[in-house]
Amino acid sequence: MTQIGFFIDVTKCIGCKTCVVACKDKNNLEVGRNFRRVYSFEEGVFPNPSLSHVSLSCNHCDVPTCIPNCPTTAIFKRAEDGAVLIDHDKCVGCRYCEWNCPYEAPQFNEQLGKMTKCDTCFDLRDAGEEPVCVTSCPLRAIEFGPITELRKKYGTVSEIKGMPSASITQPNLVMKIK
Amino acid sequence: GQAVGEANDDEEGTWKSAACWHNCGGRCVNKVLVKDGVVIRQKTDDTHLDSPDFPQQRGCLRGRSQRQQVFGADRLKYPMKRKNWKPGGGKKELRGKDQWVRISWDEALDIVSSEIKRVKVNYGNEAIWATGDGEMDKVLFENGGCTKDYGTTSWGAWMWASTMMGVAEGYYEVGMNDRLDLRNSQLIVLWGLNPAWSSPGSPTYNYLQAKKAGAKFISIDPMYTDSAEVFDAEWFPIRPGTDHALALAIMHTLLDEDDPKTNPLIDWEFLNSCTVGFDENHMPEGADPKDNFKDYLLGTYDHEPKTAEWASEICGLSPNLIRQLARQIGGTKRVALLTGWAAARINDGEGWVQAFSTLGFMTGHMGRPGRMTGVSVHRAAGNGGPWLIEQGSKGYPAPKENAVTNLINHNEVFSAILDGKFHQKGEGERKANLQFIYHQYNATLQTRTSINQGIKAHREVEFVVTNAYNLTTNAQYSDIVLPVTSMWEREGGLLGGNREMIIVHSNIVDPLYEAKSDIWIAKELMKRLGKNPNTLYPFSEKQAFFNELATTNVIMENGVDFEPLVGITAEDIKAWGVEGKPQKGRVPIAELIERGVYQVARRPGDNFGHIAYEDFVNDPENNPVDTPSGKFEIYCETIHEESKKGWSDIPPIPKYIPKELGYEDTFGDWKNKDKGKYPFQLYNPHYLRRSHTVFDNIPWLREMMPSPLFMNATDAKERGIKDGDTVIIYNDHGKTLRPARVTQTMTPGVLALPHGAWPRFDKDEKIDKAGADNILQAPISTGLGTSGWNTVICDVKKYTGKPLTEDKDWEQLIVFPEG
Repeated sequence: MTQIGFFIDVTKCIGCKTCVVACKDKNNLEVGRNFRRVYSFEEGVFPNPSLSHVSLSCNHCDVPTCIPNCPTTAIFKRAEDGAVLIDHDKCVGCRYCEWNCPYEAPQFNEQLGKMTKCDTCFDLRDAGEEPVCVTSCPLRAIEFGPITELRKKYGTVSEIKGMPSASITQPNLVMKIK
Repeated sequence: GQAVGEANDDEEGTWKSAACWHNCGGRCVNKVLVKDGVVIRQKTDDTHLDSPDFPQQRGCLRGRSQRQQVFGADRLKYPMKRKNWKPGGGKKELRGKDQWVRISWDEALDIVSSEIKRVKVNYGNEAIWATGDGEMDKVLFENGGCTKDYGTTSWGAWMWASTMMGVAEGYYEVGMNDRLDLRNSQLIVLWGLNPAWSSPGSPTYNYLQAKKAGAKFISIDPMYTDSAEVFDAEWFPIRPGTDHALALAIMHTLLDEDDPKTNPLIDWEFLNSCTVGFDENHMPEGADPKDNFKDYLLGTYDHEPKTAEWASEICGLSPNLIRQLARQIGGTKRVALLTGWAAARINDGEGWVQAFSTLGFMTGHMGRPGRMTGVSVHRAAGNGGPWLIEQGSKGYPAPKENAVTNLINHNEVFSAILDGKFHQKGEGERKANLQFIYHQYNATLQTRTSINQGIKAHREVEFVVTNAYNLTTNAQYSDIVLPVTSMWEREGGLLGGNREMIIVHSNIVDPLYEAKSDIWIAKELMKRLGKNPNTLYPFSEKQAFFNELATTNVIMENGVDFEPLVGITAEDIKAWGVEGKPQKGRVPIAELIERGVYQVARRPGDNFGHIAYEDFVNDPENNPVDTPSGKFEIYCETIHEESKKGWSDIPPIPKYIPKELGYEDTFGDWKNKDKGKYPFQLYNPHYLRRSHTVFDNIPWLREMMPSPLFMNATDAKERGIKDGDTVIIYNDHGKTLRPARVTQTMTPGVLALPHGAWPRFDKDEKIDKAGADNILQAPISTGLGTSGWNTVICDVKKYTGKPLTEDKDWEQLIVFPEG
């Protein structure tokens, strides 16, 4: 298995949320449901403030807390690439995964009564394309690929102040921070 | 069971190039997947591999949600009239509150044309006012003319003052070098410039390449912006409208500390050869030598040197910081001194334009690699220079000239209705009796001046009609609303973007509901006014699209000559069903339409670079600029003379005058520094939810960008305001509500209210809940007729009424929900 993951360049992100909207468009997500989200942080005191924005989807974690806490075993890690996916034939929409995920990755679809989430745009990837968040970013701040390669290129930072500790789920996420 | 998110399984359909046509300044590739007449997905530029030299033209969150605009539940479906409307008005006070009644196109067009005739007969053509620009102008010009309006719109004081002194206003002519040369700058000063919010698409990415090449950034801005953060800029927090004072103090410092041998900060050679008016030895003919700029800076005659200490009291930066800024700008070899128009969208803004430009002259940061001084916004954000692709012409005949000469300044459009008079520039007072408003392609009621005054004016006239595809503010206060098609429902066309590319967009779907194009409406009105529509539109909209393609030219490898962009064969012409001649071109027509964009490939050292003012700076005698002296005019008699025809006096040199409703006016007693009734300054940053007013109704964007009031944390604490609290912002012109965004990124005493929200009033119409910026705008005009949107004073407090719900949860403005 080649585990996939995301690289987020926090030093380039302007918080424009184009990735979030591109994801909404790709997945037809109504207001309130976002497979990718941008979290904004502010630090410092006038006149020396600083800003940072972190774009997060599902991190397709090594230890995904959503999986053991799913009472119907609907969530699984796909064998070939470690993408965390939901089997809608099994999901009953109990939302336990939502409570257990530190990253707010599982998003409840009221209409279906089931959980939904980032599937890494596997249909696009099958067609040789990249996930839409990657190709949408005006600042080229998001990359996707085998996590070992991303870590080789960008290191191993996977949390910043304000974010959940990476020790909980071991996310397949690499970030560049200031 | 299949493991799915909610990808559109089994996607079929066709990808087409779709327009993103709004006035954001950017142009990005927007493609849509059409299936059964509906767009099921969008994407952006994937027409070539992405690289910093040849970047994809990627769209922003607004472009990505374009399908929610075109297919929104709030699209206007049918022609409609106000229930209580009658010829001559009919309960005019109900405009904005009346019910809508669906009518047929015939009835709607008959009403509009008969009202045009009635008002013309009763009051003359002057009584008809067509706002903005568009097809309806042409019809009304054929009909004997109509009153028009004009103003400085986004430019602020850059609109006219700049060209009078010999520098570019920033759109038609651009004062900055191209993006590849920007990488040669060692220091990039962003003065009132936040491309991360104001210029989505490629500009911020282009600036990042300059950062990667080693440039240091400075941001002079009332807000610590996302641009400042991403460029690692040193932030100089400044109060709105005080940039002029800061520029003077920087120049005073340069003069004070310059030593040509040991500490060269001033480019004396540049001043001597390229400018007039700097000192008494370089004054233009006829000017009083004592009126030179240098003696003004030193305070020789007015006994007030424009020192860092002098400016500090006004702009808020410490004298030391001002001096440090001056040393960086004067002491760095290659500097890009870039500003947005925003800092000049102030009352009495002309002096700032003069002062900023003069700083460029003094430091010689012009006309050379890595060195530039000018405006960097809109289509030329982060990338200056002439068009590399010349957009073709649709070929429609020119309309008749307007026989009515009344031209009303934007700041007086509503008072002209209410007071029956206006100032005709260069002439003096004229009487006005406006009784008919045609809103064509604009957001006049929201974006010109005081909204409350505008609503009052709309309830005064006898007839108001709007062409619109949503219930815009213009439409809400109309008698008749005509549903127009969006660009996705039209034949297709071209959209110029940044200088390196052009978008070719196609028809995406048939017109939705009963919507019609503006041209169709214009033709129908022509018929009803007894005119021949063929005089304006002798051929089809498809032929116009074809003409535009056929006459578009692209620059050749030598960087000088142009050749046709589009190759057309006899078979193409036959397939299109149009008139035309085959031609050779760089890209076959079918391929270009499929691709949807043509972008000139760039690489360092190519022939497409641009250094603004290079010829003039290298040889000023043989390449004069367009001023009476042929040089950049620090002493500019033209500005001074022209201001006599306008609203308030502008000195020939950039003398500081306190800006009407500027920082000084937040004090009841300036000398003793006692704050006044309205202690806050407020300005209107461009915001990623909207392009001006467009997109404010889009659910996805309302969710992404909540449009709060940005205020400094200390100011908020003093007033008991916490982050997220609903606050009321108010002055003599109106009251508006917003959730507060309490932040350390705002300069104390300054509020930022994002531009362009559509007002929504409470029942008694006293308080707007949407944060519509022009609710707080004073309807005044200064200088050459500048609109001073960023000089507003007001107060803010915690709102004691019912707190606002989030904008994303507000009901959409749907007129006929039943379909």
